Amino acid sequence: MKVSVENITKSFGEKQVLKGISFETESGKSLGLLGRNGAGKTTTIRILMGVFYQNSGDILVDGKKIDRDHLQIGYLPEERGLYPKQKISEQLVYFGMLRGQTKQQARAAVVKWLDRMGMSEYKDKKLETLSKGNQQKIQLAATLLCDPQLVILDEPFSGLDPVNAMLLKEVILESIDGGAAVIFSSHQMNYIEEFCNDICILNGGSIVLSGDIRDIKRSYPRNTINIYTEALTETAALVNTRYHDRTESVHPDEKEHCVTVKLQNESDKDGLLRLLIDSKLNIDGFQIKEPTLNDIFVEYAEGGI
Amino acid sequence: MKNILKILKFEYLTCIRNKAFIIITVFMVCASMLFSLIPGIMQSMSEDDASSDESSRQVIAITKSGYDDELIRKEFSPYYPAADITITDEQRKVIEEKVDSGEYLFAVDITAPNSFTYITKNQTLYNADDQIVMKLMQDMYSVTELNKLGISGEQADKILHAGFFSEVVTTGADITKNYMPVYLLMCILFVSITFYGQLVTQSVVSEKNTRAMELLITCAKPSELMFGKVIGAGLAGLTQLAVIFLSLACSINLAPWGEIPPEIKEFISFPTETLLLALVFFLLGFFIYAFLLGALASFASKSEDLNGLTTPVLFVMMGVYFAVVFLCTGDMIDSTAMTVLSYIPLSAPMAMFVRATLIDIPVWEIAVSVVLQMITIYLCGLLAAAIYKIGVLMYGNPPRFSEIIRLLKKQ
Repeated sequence: MKVSVENITKSFGEKQVLKGISFETESGKSLGLLGRNGAGKTTTIRILMGVFYQNSGDILVDGKKIDRDHLQIGYLPEERGLYPKQKISEQLVYFGMLRGQTKQQARAAVVKWLDRMGMSEYKDKKLETLSKGNQQKIQLAATLLCDPQLVILDEPFSGLDPVNAMLLKEVILESIDGGAAVIFSSHQMNYIEEFCNDICILNGGSIVLSGDIRDIKRSYPRNTINIYTEALTETAALVNTRYHDRTESVHPDEKEHCVTVKLQNESDKDGLLRLLIDSKLNIDGFQIKEPTLNDIFVEYAEGGI
Repeated sequence: MKNILKILKFEYLTCIRNKAFIIITVFMVCASMLFSLIPGIMQSMSEDDASSDESSRQVIAITKSGYDDELIRKEFSPYYPAADITITDEQRKVIEEKVDSGEYLFAVDITAPNSFTYITKNQTLYNADDQIVMKLMQDMYSVTELNKLGISGEQADKILHAGFFSEVVTTGADITKNYMPVYLLMCILFVSITFYGQLVTQSVVSEKNTRAMELLITCAKPSELMFGKVIGAGLAGLTQLAVIFLSLACSINLAPWGEIPPEIKEFISFPTETLLLALVFFLLGFFIYAFLLGALASFASKSEDLNGLTTPVLFVMMGVYFAVVFLCTGDMIDSTAMTVLSYIPLSAPMAMFVRATLIDIPVWEIAVSVVLQMITIYLCGLLAAAIYKIGVLMYGNPPRFSEIIRLLKKQ
């Protein structure tokens, strides 16, 4: 299944919130939808969910206009919302039934997902009696109850401790492996890097960068090298004396135990590696320094809102 | 519309499991049972009083005057069978002290054949002794004067207390017969529409406050949510009313401690057709107002915002209620104003109910009013769904009415 968002625009009054958004994702893949607050992520998600409609553009599923009655969508909103004073199993069954399951299917799904989340013992408890992290797990169970083909997760890891975050990671990865298309919106770039094949950065209602994360990273100049070693001073001195005509800068970093060398050309990295091998210095690692997703996000999302 | 039934059921169960809802139901059931017990309790208390009266009978003192003592006793005894009628020549001050101490129930100081002073310790709103005494004094004066003209006491008594047999024939409806039950039902109609309308507003605002709305709005259409909520709350209301009315009916019919006095029984014995009309107009009124209240509640982010948003609608309801009561009590039930009110959908549930049950009107008038209200319910439902769709995703300060209208026009 391929979900394509094509040239979507949306205005609220005089303000144009989306200015021609296009991206696509497919089964078994995960797309990171990034952007600063107010960039248009939630509006895009709400249009995908059919809460309101775009002014122009299309949402296609396998080339046909989206039919939400026949497409199971699981949505985890950024503002968590369930009934605090209702029993957990009852409200999960209710949401399962609203998403098209029969009562029996919904009950079976509730048992399965509460078990998967390690929350079976709380099924007859009221939601408000649970900790924030456990409430978050119930919220994720509500999202995945109906085995959705399209999963939209808005900040799923906020407020979770590392153990619960690990469990949620496993569950989301299982969902992706199970063939769901996942759209993942978060400001926690490490999770995006971990889950997503593709990213799409929104800024001021437009997409400023999209594509495969690896390709995006590879598109950056690969002329900065991290040399991992305990002999920081000797290594820096060696590069400065023997390779200075091909470097732009050399920075020893005691905290990271590495020397960062910025070369004039990408092609000079082979020469640098040979120099280090010949020097017999104790080198632990030699790595091309790629920009982090955070660096890329800051670069593309600055300004514009 | 596939989700309406699911939402309705969830809403219904949420309502009837609500603690406040259960407490009110239990309270009303207990109150209705108590209501059936009160006459029995009062009866047994009056029996106790009667037996205790044997040992300490109350005394009514009447000063000596030109009237015959026997005549005084003859006139007063039928009205005060449990009291001793004492003809006294005590001083006024002494009589007042004895009234004040409770020795005399009350006293009548006759100062001239057509002049007297009624002396009582407390004059309460519902004490009619002074009027009874006035009547008895007039009778005594008439008998005495007739005697002077040569008419015997017996003849005078026949003339003064001649019995009449009368009956009232109405060519239309007898308003006096049904007035109290209908008035009571109209009060119940007003209170229940207001109360169950508030259930809808509370449900909407709590879903928004807890952000459950964020998820709900992606699972169901706003129209499904709005119709499901309103119908669910309406059914919960009907359930509560049914429980209260049934317990009241059982209490009246199975009153364990004696019969309910006929005048009270008449007050709460609703004719079947009146009850059916009350049910129909409750449903119509409830749906009209619940849709409006629910829609406005969708702009509230928290319970505190509700008052400001729903007050205009509640004012309309109160205005309608007082207008109908005023027109009824002012003998204008058949007036043009009342007729007009019974066709305006916002006032029709109460006005048409009162007209249909108290006076004779053609069936087509009721039918037209009901159809108009049903069309209004449909339109209110659509309008409410449209408002709800805008409102549920708005947080912060509730918008002004002009802003709501502007947003609706845009939609």
